[in-house]
Amino acid sequence: MSEYLLKAVDISKAFVGVQALDAVSLDIRPGEIHCLAGENGCGKSTLIKIISGVYQQDAGYIEFNGKRFTRITPLEAIAMGIQVIYQDFSIFPNLTVMENLAFNTELAAGRRLVNKRRMRTVAEEALSKINFDIELDRLVGSLSVAEKQMVAICRALMFDAKLIIMDEPTTALTRKEVRALFEIILKLKEQGIAILFVSHKLNEVFEISERFTIFRSGKHIVSGNTSELDDRKFSYYMTGREFDAEPFRPRYEGGECVLEVENLAIEGAFEDVSFRLCRGEILGITGLLDSGRSELALALFGLRRSTGGRILVKGKEIAMGSPRDAIEAGIGYVPEDRLSEGLFLPRSIADNIVISEIDRLTGALSVLDFRRYRQEVEDWVRALSIATPDPENACSTLSGGNQQRVVLAKWLACKPDVLVLNGPTVGVDIGSKHDIHRILQRLANEGMAVIIISDDLPEVLQNCSHLLIMKDGRIVARPDPGSTDENTVLSHML
Amino acid sequence: MKKKFRKLISRTEFYIALVFLALCLLIQLRSGQFFTPNNIVDILSALVVPGIFAVGAFMVIISGGFDVSFPALASLTSFVTTKVLLDAGWQGGVWLPFLIALVLGALLGAFNGLFIGYFELPAMIVTLGSSSFFKGLMQGALNSKQLAVIPVGMRSFGTSALFVAKNVESGLTSRMPTTFLVLAGVLLVTWFLLNRTMFGRGIYAIGGNPVSAHRAGFNVRRTRFLLLVYVGMISALAGLCRVCMMQQMHPTNMLGMEMNVIAGVVLGGTAIIGGAGTLFGCMLGTGLIVLVENSMILIGIPTVWKDAFVGALIVIGTGISAFQVNRARRAGLRNVRKGAAL
Amino acid sequence: MKKTLALLLSLLLMFSCVAALADGYEIVVVPKDESNPWFVRMKTGVDEYAAAHPEDTIYQKGTPEIDATLQYQLVMDLVAQEVDAICVVPVDLASIEPALKAAMDAGIVVIAHEGAALENVDYDIEAFNNELYGAFIMDNLAAAMGEEGLYTTMVADLTNGSHNEWADGGVKRAGEPYPGMTLLADEPRVESHDNGDIAYNVAKELFKKYPDLKGVMGTSSFDAPGIARAIEELGLSGKVFTAGTGMPGDNAALLKSGAVQYLTLWDPALAGQAMVALAQKVLNGEAVAAPLDLGVEGYGALEFKAGSDTVLEGQGWITITAENVDSFGF
Repeated sequence: MSEYLLKAVDISKAFVGVQALDAVSLDIRPGEIHCLAGENGCGKSTLIKIISGVYQQDAGYIEFNGKRFTRITPLEAIAMGIQVIYQDFSIFPNLTVMENLAFNTELAAGRRLVNKRRMRTVAEEALSKINFDIELDRLVGSLSVAEKQMVAICRALMFDAKLIIMDEPTTALTRKEVRALFEIILKLKEQGIAILFVSHKLNEVFEISERFTIFRSGKHIVSGNTSELDDRKFSYYMTGREFDAEPFRPRYEGGECVLEVENLAIEGAFEDVSFRLCRGEILGITGLLDSGRSELALALFGLRRSTGGRILVKGKEIAMGSPRDAIEAGIGYVPEDRLSEGLFLPRSIADNIVISEIDRLTGALSVLDFRRYRQEVEDWVRALSIATPDPENACSTLSGGNQQRVVLAKWLACKPDVLVLNGPTVGVDIGSKHDIHRILQRLANEGMAVIIISDDLPEVLQNCSHLLIMKDGRIVARPDPGSTDENTVLSHML
Repeated sequence: MKKKFRKLISRTEFYIALVFLALCLLIQLRSGQFFTPNNIVDILSALVVPGIFAVGAFMVIISGGFDVSFPALASLTSFVTTKVLLDAGWQGGVWLPFLIALVLGALLGAFNGLFIGYFELPAMIVTLGSSSFFKGLMQGALNSKQLAVIPVGMRSFGTSALFVAKNVESGLTSRMPTTFLVLAGVLLVTWFLLNRTMFGRGIYAIGGNPVSAHRAGFNVRRTRFLLLVYVGMISALAGLCRVCMMQQMHPTNMLGMEMNVIAGVVLGGTAIIGGAGTLFGCMLGTGLIVLVENSMILIGIPTVWKDAFVGALIVIGTGISAFQVNRARRAGLRNVRKGAAL
Repeated sequence: MKKTLALLLSLLLMFSCVAALADGYEIVVVPKDESNPWFVRMKTGVDEYAAAHPEDTIYQKGTPEIDATLQYQLVMDLVAQEVDAICVVPVDLASIEPALKAAMDAGIVVIAHEGAALENVDYDIEAFNNELYGAFIMDNLAAAMGEEGLYTTMVADLTNGSHNEWADGGVKRAGEPYPGMTLLADEPRVESHDNGDIAYNVAKELFKKYPDLKGVMGTSSFDAPGIARAIEELGLSGKVFTAGTGMPGDNAALLKSGAVQYLTLWDPALAGQAMVALAQKVLNGEAVAAPLDLGVEGYGALEFKAGSDTVLEGQGWITITAENVDSFGF
């Protein structure tokens, strides 16, 4: 038995001229929890696919259990005990838990006929490996995300897995569910199964992994013990940049009050919410999922009708009936789920940026003024450093962080007085996250009033001049972000 | 028990069955003729051809696509079969026509399957095209005309009856056509394929998520290809049954049936996005459409309102079905979002 | 043998040329195509008529397949050959008009059949008046029903023009000489969508719901055959009757089995003869006034269609029975 379960050595891979991996190496010990981190597009997924046999490397080799391979087929990978749990879990929502669990084994055994009794036995055995208790006849589509993930893990365990690769496993999980997942990972470790945990979330890397490897732009940057890693180093390895985590200090002088909210309420969601917001300020609103923070955001933008209280913009009461009213009053909104609410993914980046201000770019007879349109798009792509070779490319070609910038650009193009952001950096990698924070601070210093609604505590503490904490639909505390800490805020939230 | 009941009422089939029953009662009330032996046999006899078609359409929808070419495929195969045997002066049994139709159906199905399975084109687009192609082949290249006489074997098969149902009161008799056995056979084989073979489970799996199906080890391309071959074969069977029962081959008589057949399948609770639905529901939905189409006079709906009535039923029925599917999807989405927020 | 034949042929040719060159007219019948059994039947009639009228050169000439462009070409060729009259059954009204105009401009007599809306014609002959044809179907149905009982009508679609005119004509007829016949008030008109299977199923429903129903008048050529199938299956042969349009070739078996007694139709052979006869009349400068007698069966008293002075309507319907069904060849 060699010291390492898996050794990937000097792996290179290019796709039509783009070097996705440039002589990267990765090694995993038996029973180890290893975290592979890196920003979007750094080559993490490519390496996973090479290890699991989906792609073939151009150069380099893989050693598994001391056996050396220059190429692995998917079947060999499975036979050796390598299992990948993809981000979408590769499940069938329309079929039962039993079938989801048993299909792979049945197919691997080359069976042509269905034997329900055998499939049930197989499925029960799979569940017993992590003592996961669920009805075998339930449709997987009716399960929660965490339960689906458990099904995927159980399925992976059926092939005498020695290495389980989890691709961004925590993306759609609640905190509680993440904790449950970590317990399972530890249990698997006890059984001698190694876990390769692919993530770009800092706290997860610290919490669960023993060792880590970081890639950047297809290159291996560093490997080591997680205990030797800290916040600053991690960010540096990931992005190659040093970040100064300086808290936000308002610099805009003499900001008039632009938004006043008085006793605002939506029955069943929140009540009695009052605050004032001036130019140059960034207001943070935080709280648990059911605290009413999201509903408040929707109410500020006219997406939900308030049932009590009033909203004043620059001293004038606004009847907030629809997003149009909000836009006319000078309020912009960056939604929580940018993919479904904020962007037209198949359309071009340029179209997405100008969509909200399209009326302003049309000349006589409502014909689009193409010169101004180009100029406008170019300005925003530069101002927010959106990384694209051509703004005419579809928005879906961008990474999460860049998509978020497009959403920002779209609203900034309308020149709002107040910008409301709901979870502005969810699913965005560190570099982009930092950039977005800098952009928001700059906007505030230029005189915009900003509201950040987020449960990312470091984010609100670092970037906000004021902070509201909500719990059960009420504001429970208004601490000063400069003089409080995460634990205090958390204790108010819970 | 309570749980079972809740599960029952959450299924679309349950509501379709209710509507079905209500309609039967309405017809009985209005005409006094529904629950008579000959009327029930009439409905079952009218179900044969749309029923077989529906099985094929159902399977393709399960796999996540739409087949609109089956009427053209059935017309072409049954025309060629009838014409060839007439020209050859075939005097033998019905086995040869069925054999020829099956082979031709498999070939045309393979044509669809090649594009849908191996070239991975959307089924709807492919079959819209192949539908025109089959029609063109029949009407142009083969110069199809109505064939008033069909081979004697087909003729006697078409008029043969399993039994004759008699309404004692009115003295009316209806034949239960032997072709009903073809529908029964197709249902049996298809049920077995879908529920007892990995091929069938693969169709459901592909309808649920083709990428996952591929990763799980299903041969997605081959499964889709074979599916279309099978659908081609049963569609050809339906076409031949229609010719035998009508006692003549009319080349354009079946064209246009696809809309009501697909509506029936969707009515029966088959998810339009694929992956979910049962053969039982599919038959129930198709039966409902056949029932309605063949009971307008019995109910006493004026002829001018017939189309509106059938149309309204389809809209409402498929609406309920689509609503159910949407609700399920939204519930799924909510779960994901909930997770994402915290 | 060969020589004699050749001699005979050349003689024949010379004779016909002489005939044409002499005072006779050249009259050409142009059908939609020449292979369709319907027009093969028309050719039989035209040839028969030609044999009986050797003074003129009369023949039918068609294109190999139904194609509006080919038909246009053919007519233009005939214009170039300076024939005396063209009798045409148009494939497509709009595309044939220019050719017919060229013919008229060249002084050629133009007679059409099934082209009531054509403009560049001397006359158009329709086999019958729609209302009267309906009455004729009704006569057949009444005969089968013994002139009494409950009946209803079937059309392809309620929006179909001629079918509904036929049905209206039939209903009107039933009211006059047949006091025992009553229209089914609940379902006075049902649809078959030109589909034999639908006609069959609808008929089954009708007989179930209305046990007293004794007859169904069909209009589309799919109606009566479909209804007849239902009658046969339900065991109602001899008790319930149908009549309507139907092609002999498609329905020989049904007629012979007795499931249906009468089908009605118009005979293309007679229509062809009527066209030629009218062309002769015009060429000879005879007056064309209603009622016009062309000396052809069913075309002995043509009347102008209401509001038209070019469209003539005959009584050219025929009855197809088990006895004569095999004599038509289509």
